[in-house]
Amino acid sequence: MSAANFVQLLLSGLAMGAIYALTATGLFIAHLATTRLNFGQGDFLMFAAYLSMALLLAGVPVALVMAVVIVVLALMGWGLERFAIRPLDRMRALVGGQYSWILTTMGVALIVQNVVTLVWGKSSQYSPPLFSANRQNVVQVFGAGVFVEELLVIVVALVAILLFYALLFRTRQGRAIYAVAFSPETAALLGVNVRRTVVLVFVLASVLAALSGVLVGPIVTVHPFMGLVFTVKAFAVASLGGFANPLGILIGAILFGVVESFSNYINSAFGDLYPLLLVLALLVIKPSGLFGEAKTDVR
Amino acid sequence: MFAETSFSPWLRNGAYVAIAVAIALFPLLTGNTFHIHLAQTLLYTTIAVIGLNLLLGLSGQMSLGQAGFYAIGAYGSALLTAKLGWPIAAAMLGGIALAGAAGCLVGLVALRTRGLYLAMATLAFGFMVEIATQRWVDLTGGTMGIYGIPALDFGSSTMGKAYFLWVVGAVYLAVQITSDYVMHSRVRRNLLALKENESAARTAGINVPVWRTAVFAVSSVLAGTAGAFFTHQNAYINSDAFTLNLTLTMLIATVIGGLGASYGPLIGTLITLMIAELIASLYDVSFLVNGIILLTVLLLFPQGAIGLVQSVGKFLFARSSEGSETQAAPTDRAFALPVAPPSTGPTLVVENLTKRYGGVVAVRDVSLAIEYGKIHALIGPNGAGKSTLINCVSGLYRADSGRILLNGKDVSSLPAHARAHMGLSRTFQNLQLVGSLTVLENVQLGIRSTRSMPADFFSWLLSSTFEVEERARALALLQQFGIAHLAAARPEDLPYGHRKLAELARAMAEEPTVMLLDEPVAGLNDREAQEIADVIRRIRASGTSILLVEHNMEFVMKLADRVTVLDYGERIAQGAPAEVQVDPRVIEAYLGGSLEQSNSAGKLEAAS
Amino acid sequence: MAIKHGSALALLAGFALSIGSASAENVKIGVVQGLSGPPAITDFGESYLQGIKLAVKDYEAKGGKHKIELVVYDDEANPQKAVSLVQRLMQNDNVPVIIGTVSSGNVLAFAPIMQKAGVPLVAGPSIATNITAQFIKESPSYIFRCSMVEKFQIESMLDWGTKTFKKIGLVHSTTGYAVFAAKEIQEGLKARNVQLVAVESAAPNVSDLTPQLLKMKEAGAELVLNFHESFELIYRPMAKLDYRPIIAGNWGLSSLKVLQIVGQKEIEGTVMGQALDMALDSSKAFVSRMEKEYGKAFRWPVIAALGYDAGQVVLKAADTAKTLDPKGMRDALEAVDGIQAISATPAKPFGPQDHECLDREHVFLGVWKDGQVVRLKY
Repeated sequence: MSAANFVQLLLSGLAMGAIYALTATGLFIAHLATTRLNFGQGDFLMFAAYLSMALLLAGVPVALVMAVVIVVLALMGWGLERFAIRPLDRMRALVGGQYSWILTTMGVALIVQNVVTLVWGKSSQYSPPLFSANRQNVVQVFGAGVFVEELLVIVVALVAILLFYALLFRTRQGRAIYAVAFSPETAALLGVNVRRTVVLVFVLASVLAALSGVLVGPIVTVHPFMGLVFTVKAFAVASLGGFANPLGILIGAILFGVVESFSNYINSAFGDLYPLLLVLALLVIKPSGLFGEAKTDVR
Repeated sequence: MFAETSFSPWLRNGAYVAIAVAIALFPLLTGNTFHIHLAQTLLYTTIAVIGLNLLLGLSGQMSLGQAGFYAIGAYGSALLTAKLGWPIAAAMLGGIALAGAAGCLVGLVALRTRGLYLAMATLAFGFMVEIATQRWVDLTGGTMGIYGIPALDFGSSTMGKAYFLWVVGAVYLAVQITSDYVMHSRVRRNLLALKENESAARTAGINVPVWRTAVFAVSSVLAGTAGAFFTHQNAYINSDAFTLNLTLTMLIATVIGGLGASYGPLIGTLITLMIAELIASLYDVSFLVNGIILLTVLLLFPQGAIGLVQSVGKFLFARSSEGSETQAAPTDRAFALPVAPPSTGPTLVVENLTKRYGGVVAVRDVSLAIEYGKIHALIGPNGAGKSTLINCVSGLYRADSGRILLNGKDVSSLPAHARAHMGLSRTFQNLQLVGSLTVLENVQLGIRSTRSMPADFFSWLLSSTFEVEERARALALLQQFGIAHLAAARPEDLPYGHRKLAELARAMAEEPTVMLLDEPVAGLNDREAQEIADVIRRIRASGTSILLVEHNMEFVMKLADRVTVLDYGERIAQGAPAEVQVDPRVIEAYLGGSLEQSNSAGKLEAAS
Repeated sequence: MAIKHGSALALLAGFALSIGSASAENVKIGVVQGLSGPPAITDFGESYLQGIKLAVKDYEAKGGKHKIELVVYDDEANPQKAVSLVQRLMQNDNVPVIIGTVSSGNVLAFAPIMQKAGVPLVAGPSIATNITAQFIKESPSYIFRCSMVEKFQIESMLDWGTKTFKKIGLVHSTTGYAVFAAKEIQEGLKARNVQLVAVESAAPNVSDLTPQLLKMKEAGAELVLNFHESFELIYRPMAKLDYRPIIAGNWGLSSLKVLQIVGQKEIEGTVMGQALDMALDSSKAFVSRMEKEYGKAFRWPVIAALGYDAGQVVLKAADTAKTLDPKGMRDALEAVDGIQAISATPAKPFGPQDHECLDREHVFLGVWKDGQVVRLKY
């Protein structure tokens, strides 16, 4: 393999890895504070990609598109928490109640998919580039051609994740999330508004989906059923990195994206098998992900 | 007597007969082969869903790979008939065995990982099977499928569909009955216990790894059975049938029907099949309808469809655990506490036990011995290593060196559940009762059944005195501890002191020779502590030796026959309460002694 | 086993026997199509269905003999579902004929059941080579098809490809359908003594083919055969790899959606199996009618044309059938003549030994030229 091809594959992998990182961080934050997550995270991403596509095609400036999509998805995140997550609290004690969120969030995802097919049809769609005049806008990096949009995805995703970490570790609100994660009762005693924090994490998760959706549209083909793949891969990435550790997720995502890209090059017939094997092997060796701490439950 | 807690199995068995009759008559009454086809699909899918229901509803393990087991059963049977020419029955068993083997493998992974990580591992497994069926074209035929699979129709083109329905119906009924047994027996109690807290379950004598793997194997066998039937229903399979959607449909059926409920799978599968048929022509809004139904059912009927049905037909099927036990009258036989067999030597000996965490030594070279029918207290300041020691003794931690002898036998290398079986039981500092069981069932958890699993099954199926004896013994224990009136309550509804008593009753039900009590009066008021003290004395009187870890000095001094004091992981004193109380090293340790003094603790050993 | 009728339909059909062909009646036509799921399925299913519906509309506008009722179900490209729906159509809806479906695997799952039950199937837009072939020896066979046949488009493509190019590469998806296509391609090339310079595959749900196209570039393929259901994916990495081979492949490449996503400039010169000659006035008229009828939802001229023709054939059979039961429909289908097909389907599509609308000689190669698929001359 030539050096240029290596760079080529690496950058392809990094671009997809960046998207997985954004999506998986959404799963992570919701899971951290509530031990639940949005099984339709990928469908939220898909909806964001469609919305952004429609607005871009209508000639709306990019900055405005970004703002609108983020606001709409934030509202969806709020609605998800309000109507599909919160009502489950009263049934937590019931047998099996702890798994209901999978099905309620899946139900919301199905509704989102159907709305998209009713509005935009069931076909694949062309999503215009964000910052280039056409889709052929290529720059050379170490002898490899890369789309400007791909580079952009990597940069924006990294910046977004760093900002997100800053929020999580440096602000009062972020510490509140960790407090709720540790123990909602204790957090409440410390004056944290638990309900608001839970709403916040689902809004944040949706905003991350919004961001990934806007970014991913131009580098793939959007279609109404693309969401599940992203949910599954983000889920894999979050397990790889450990649901407890945001840095692990970033590393897991990059690892997953790059392994995917190279395994498609080396043995394309089973290109999707190798990343799965990686995840499964890692779960056997490190049962709580690369960086997740295994909790002993001796009490 | 406990007549009212027993329950006539004939009502329940009547329901089985009714189902059998319905299945037998259905194909004769309807001439419509499509309806027969749907009934077949309903029954074999239900078999798979029952497996998921046991796995998820009882053991709490989430599998997103059920379609994988289903596919293995289907392809196993298809290939064995079509390529190797096996007879259908043998091939189906072969396919099912393959699915079971895969289930054991995944179950081994499940031992290492939990919760969402387990969900991910099973999801990855499901995808791998999907990839294999799709791409290993030489073997599976991929999307183009396998030809030459015989249909399960006994060679009859007119009655073949009815025959198939009867076979699948018989298997379904057997699975349903077995599942009902599981739901109403010690199997359920054990599974719920390990679901809620594995450590507690282990110390209560449950072999957690075996149970967890077994339940995975069972659920995969059931999924494989469904797959094998699917293969011979249509005499053709291809890889498009075994996608993640299949797993999700089974999951939806499980939850919509009512997780952990006995007829939940049947009703859940019926509902999902009916919805699929109803919206087959509404293809433009099918997802919308499905999504809305999912949300509505889960939010309005959180216990699933069975919750509705049960509230109507409770008196018919559900062996009610509420109500009946509360009315249980005091026994006419006076049950005493189980008496531990007398022993001359010490019942528990700890020899030179050391436990390190990384570089930190939590317990260093500690020895102690407990005599028959005595209370030996283990005290020391916070961080002295008391909890570590008790966890090493009960088998939750493995000691780095030293020996533990239980009734003269070296148990140092045995797992926790094996030690429990040899007469070691324990309670926990922040107590561990199983929240989804009643108080009585929690106590039953401790009772070791002498019946083998098959004997237990037939007793459940045929006898009206199933577990009456066990319940009576459990109730007697509760009576001894003065909380028999709370037998039917859930632990969370009890005051803290009563929960402590219930846990003691659970531990006592194991008929231990040695009981480890980890801070039994922490968080209790004086009156409650007094009650506990009384109970502990009675336990001692029954001959059980007790290792008591406690902070409350007054409590310890009143109760203990002998005291060992730990500080910084080392034994600094041992002796009768009165001796220890005045030991300067002990006073120093509690009041914040200096390092030299605790290091010189060894000298005291000679005196003890 | 013969279908139990119970309904008045059979009775009436019995009476009708005496008058030669059935009198005016309600005729139900069963349709099973892939109408939800990934675009690789739904684009085919919806386009074919659009064609069928237009055929029914035209039939009624011309004052057709019968009142037609389409009973349409979505099989979600799932064979288990498809089998169940076909039984429902035969047993509950009592349809005398069924049209469907996209996924060849599904057709292979239910075709034997229909053959056994004696209900005629007009398969489409499924494409696997062996669908009618495996039943044609039965007397009589109930399995017909109005669709592309994989072998025919591959043979045409290989005739042209091996004559025009030295280095040929193949990118296919890992679905069973595409794996079989790849097999047929390799067999065809072997017969022509040509070796592929590179073969790469990709899962159906991938979003990027950069690694695969990179392999093609390294192998120096001048012609890349594209048998991945996400037809547009292969074009995406071309610009960044600065590599622009000729693309040829599955008839799916003629979709207007692919044109829209890929762009007119990039798709220029792409070759695919075809059965609709856009140079003909009838084709142009059909496309403009479809556009008027379905607007933006119309996206695939050739599939819609075959759906329309399948509809025409079935309706004609209903008009000429002696009885409106499955047996009568089957016999009428085999004898249908005088079809003015939009696609390359001949006026008399079927015969006792031919249950395919399209035969080898009707399939040709199309090429994208100035935003139109025209007949490739070679």
